[in-house]
Amino acid sequence: MNAPDRYERFVVPEGTKKVSYERDTKIMNAASFTVEREDHTIGNILRMQLHRDPNVLFAGYKLPHPLKYKIIVRIHTTSQSSPMQAYNQAINDLDRELDHLKSAFEAEMLKFSRDY
Amino acid sequence: MEGGASYARMPRVKIRELKDDYVKFELRDTDASIANSLRRVMIAEVPTVAIDLVEIEVNSSVLNDEFIAHRLGLIPLTSDRAMAMRFSRDCDACDGDGQCEFCSVEFHLRVKCMTDETLDVTSKDLYSSDHTVVPVDFPDPAGMEGSENRGIIIVKLRRGQELRLRAIARKGIGKDHAKWSPAATVTFMYEPEIHLNEDLMESLTLEEKKEWVESSPTRVFDIDSVTQQVVVVDREAYTYDDEVIKKAEAMGKPGLVEINAKQDSFIFTVESTGAIKASQLLLNAIDVLRQKLDAVRLSDDNVDTTEQFGELGSHLGGS
Repeated sequence: MNAPDRYERFVVPEGTKKVSYERDTKIMNAASFTVEREDHTIGNILRMQLHRDPNVLFAGYKLPHPLKYKIIVRIHTTSQSSPMQAYNQAINDLDRELDHLKSAFEAEMLKFSRDY
Repeated sequence: MEGGASYARMPRVKIRELKDDYVKFELRDTDASIANSLRRVMIAEVPTVAIDLVEIEVNSSVLNDEFIAHRLGLIPLTSDRAMAMRFSRDCDACDGDGQCEFCSVEFHLRVKCMTDETLDVTSKDLYSSDHTVVPVDFPDPAGMEGSENRGIIIVKLRRGQELRLRAIARKGIGKDHAKWSPAATVTFMYEPEIHLNEDLMESLTLEEKKEWVESSPTRVFDIDSVTQQVVVVDREAYTYDDEVIKKAEAMGKPGLVEINAKQDSFIFTVESTGAIKASQLLLNAIDVLRQKLDAVRLSDDNVDTTEQFGELGSHLGGS
């Protein structure tokens, strides 16, 4: 009867930040972002989108433990950019892609229902 | 924002089949991470409404209270309104005890068996307080007429047995409990590209061709009855089993066929439980994914002061 509440898997506890980051002290333009209550769904698309940015030298994510509901995204960029800039741009680009995908699907649905 | 180059892609979509509870479509010009995130969101994060709280007044059936409560939870309810509803845990209008229209829907069920015939208690006996949230009605598949549509059986009663209860349905997501998942199945596959080496193929006898075609567990290839040439009849039937490649090697003809998975083309199939339409499920999944992305943006209070001074600031301000 000491099972944690199921919602703990996706509700960010009060007083915790959804996203926090820590710069690498030894390497320039490197940082680790800790994203609370997210998993592979967000981690993997972010990582793959970051790989499309030529200023990103390294991007990776990990789910440190299956019972710790957070991911860590590590980004290393060239001096032309910064990890925060790359992170923001990746999110903006993904948002744009999904926006496009939605309108493409809606247009296709309209076309499909007309044709058949 | 930064005004720099955008690395966003412009995916293309082509619908192949579109039914209320089923959609099959092609997704191109994107990568597996997007396809997989969409799949994951459809299964576990698109909200629906399902019975979550059950107050049993009378239960003299053969099933115990919690068994019935569990079965009630699993009944799909029409959830077109779910995206606009509130989760009861962050509903201000009530204490999350589900007494308000923004986050909950009430159901009543009162059935008593008065005859010697077994009485089926089904989802049709559930009375909803909201006509937009009702148990999913499964239309009889064509040809299956005669047996009238009686909904989903909850329990069976014999003479004298009674079931009386009040249930509260709430908004939730599949991550919390699978009863809230709107997806029956969501799958995607890489689109295969199949190239037959025709010169090498012509070095085979008809018998050998037949033997090779038969080696595929699914019917991907066939022999044209007129030209007696091997043709690809259904490349999507290929399950990436490598059987035909191994067979070609065993026959001493490596390179007879070359099969590649196209890394940017996917064939999706989405089946819904009926809670929401399959096409709406995909659209809701895109919205949910965008909301999730929006939530992981670096907010202003996250950007520490060192950011404004660049690397220099971080060295000055760093401990």
